Amino acid sequence: MNRLLPAWVGLAPLAAVLVLWQLLAPANAPNFPPPLAWWRAVVTLATNGSLLPAVVETLWTFALGLFIATVAGFALGILIGTVRAVREWSGLLLEFLRALPPPVVVPIAALMMGFSPSMKLTVIAVTAAWPILLNTVAGVQAVPALLSEAARSLHLSWYRRVRHIVVPASVPALLVGLRVAVSLAIVITLLVEIFTALPGIGVLMVQGQRNYNSAQVFGLLALVGVLAYALTLMFAVIEGVVLSRWPPRVARR
Amino acid sequence: MNARPLLSGLGGIGLFLGLWQLIIGSGLIEYDFLPSPWAILGGLWAMLGDREFYEEALHTLAATLGGWVIAVVLGVGLGALLGSSTTCRRYSLASVEVLRPLPAVAFVPLALLLFGFSLQMELLVIVAPALWPSLINTMEGFAGVPQRLSDVAASFRLSPIERLLRIDLPAAAPSVLVGLRLSLSLALVMSVVAEMVGNPQGLGYGLVREQQALNPERMFGYVLVIGLVGVCLNAILVMASGWILPGQFRRPQAGWDTP
Repeated sequence: MNRLLPAWVGLAPLAAVLVLWQLLAPANAPNFPPPLAWWRAVVTLATNGSLLPAVVETLWTFALGLFIATVAGFALGILIGTVRAVREWSGLLLEFLRALPPPVVVPIAALMMGFSPSMKLTVIAVTAAWPILLNTVAGVQAVPALLSEAARSLHLSWYRRVRHIVVPASVPALLVGLRVAVSLAIVITLLVEIFTALPGIGVLMVQGQRNYNSAQVFGLLALVGVLAYALTLMFAVIEGVVLSRWPPRVARR
Repeated sequence: MNARPLLSGLGGIGLFLGLWQLIIGSGLIEYDFLPSPWAILGGLWAMLGDREFYEEALHTLAATLGGWVIAVVLGVGLGALLGSSTTCRRYSLASVEVLRPLPAVAFVPLALLLFGFSLQMELLVIVAPALWPSLINTMEGFAGVPQRLSDVAASFRLSPIERLLRIDLPAAAPSVLVGLRLSLSLALVMSVVAEMVGNPQGLGYGLVREQQALNPERMFGYVLVIGLVGVCLNAILVMASGWILPGQFRRPQAGWDTP
């Protein structure tokens, strides 16, 4: 009986709250406007042509920043993970930097680079590279002993060992890091937009707040929620597909 | 043997700071907004003489801990409910999964709209995201109580309260503690964010104020202090966890990036 219920019944509480909100809140409630008012506010933004460029700008910077972060984080992670001296000498430094809240990068970059699109991209890339780097380092160290020994008995050079053994074996760790990096990159993208007023969804939210347009703020919050959920889901699917076809035996956490 | 990574780690930090000092100090790279480590230390020293700095640090600590406590009470409570009842889980898990990825920063404009520049604004921005790690980990802990232990509770006819205190809570504790630690790291991050773009108080505001005043020595001083606060909060919680659950607690690393 229970198995007949699909997973979406779990949405019931959320839906109930939204419906009750719609029914109980007066249409012109100043602080808590009903959901249909959110929808109208978002439609207004879409029709006056300010929504689409902002969404495109935010998603594009997010994607580009994440791409740079993935390449740089994975490469550095492989280097740190395979070269023991580098790992030991950088260990404590990495340990301190990982404890640093990522948002502090925003004012540093603002001071050193000014408010520019390249600053936005740099901040996203630097902060999102971090979880990828740390997880890759951990992944490299977790390469099965059998494989490392095989490499040693075949007298593989560093390059060939990395190319044929380390990189393939640490892709699952990269994916775990990527999952964290995706949500972090979304947060940082919005934060930079709110902080610097560089174009994007964050700016529209701040405008809504400054004009006391609560419907716009709620509407954009919902929109951001939908986008974030879609992106998370997309990367979860990609991760699942990659891992299910990955040749080495993979221990998933 | 164990000291070696620590020694080379310290050496690595020394080398990094030394190179930085050398490049900036010797004028090899002339850059207005990147002070040398020595100058940052000077900025930090000057800050430590300010009364204002201590008030800011206290404010951030209070907001972080206050938000954390609210988030933990809500998260552990809801998590215990969802973890121990399959029906509750079935009828709400999808809602949790939809709401959880909502980026925390997006709450800043909403919180400002509702509460203006105030502590409540900060608390909303902290609690909204810091809730999830506690909730999810508690839920997993409670859902993972071994069947045998539940059978024991049933055959002893334990009352629900006794069952909670003697069976479920101890069995779920390691997972709950992980949730509490992740929530705390997140609470600190979010209080800094809320102070950076919202409530003009605390360490986050100090950081932004010094940036806007083109005062890089002090700005990096704030960065250093915020990092140290994070390390200390995490260390305290790790120690407390080890004390509550001796033996079965692996030392986790500080950071917001552990999934």
